[in-house]
Amino acid sequence: MNKEERYSVALFVSVGHVIKAEKILKKAGIPHKVIPVPRSISSDCGVCVRFLTEDKDRVKAALSELVPINEFREL
Amino acid sequence: MADIIDARGLSCPEPVVLTKKALHRKDEIVVLVDNETALENVERLAVSMGCTINVNEEADSTYRIEIKRSTRLSSAEPPKSEICGNSSGPMVILFTSNIMGHGDDELGAILMKAYIHTLRELDNKPDIMVFYNKGVMLTTSDSGVADDLKELEGMGIKILICGTCVNYFNIQNKISIGTISNMYTIATTLLTAGRIVKP
Repeated sequence: MNKEERYSVALFVSVGHVIKAEKILKKAGIPHKVIPVPRSISSDCGVCVRFLTEDKDRVKAALSELVPINEFREL
Repeated sequence: MADIIDARGLSCPEPVVLTKKALHRKDEIVVLVDNETALENVERLAVSMGCTINVNEEADSTYRIEIKRSTRLSSAEPPKSEICGNSSGPMVILFTSNIMGHGDDELGAILMKAYIHTLRELDNKPDIMVFYNKGVMLTTSDSGVADDLKELEGMGIKILICGTCVNYFNIQNKISIGTISNMYTIATTLLTAGRIVKP
């Protein structure tokens, strides 16, 4: 992992949404990773999807109308 | 004169089994193998039994492994660590599946990814991580945790991957981390562990 790269996470209201989002991003070929929600961020659902901040618009576009994103956070 | 064990053409774990048997009879043996996996497995066994080794690659892609044991092992009395629980032994995490817990596989897969990612951040790290059966799928480059495992390996944690399982799932070309291991090493690791954690 390159430490210079900047990451963001997308938070969802449920694990089901995380699973759905993971499938969509995988299909779309957008690099991503399912990680536990960082302790500094509180969320009801314990896992979230991390991606490169520069891909934020692609993530947004890929998930739009398919999975509701609760919130984006920069890491 | 050293005994010559010809293990060419044999598949894992036979070369290791033959080597171990031979080392119980003799202190000095020569093992012939014809592939790198067998070479590595035999080397590892020899080192773990306190032997010195000398490897020569011969013309027809045969490896000639000369093994010499300095301390005589009594076959009637195996070392205590092989038969007894040893609370000061290494901490081992055992991945028997690519999912965490039972109930829902999709949820379990997500939990397992989160678990491995979290291991990097914990103060108490395992010494060895063992992957077998479907657990080996976690070690492939597209598992979603390959970078975490690489980081853990970089911290000095030993990653042992069941070679039979890798072969069964036909994922040899997708594994870039850890050590492809065999049942001897895995069984010994489990027997000599101080603590075994199975998520």
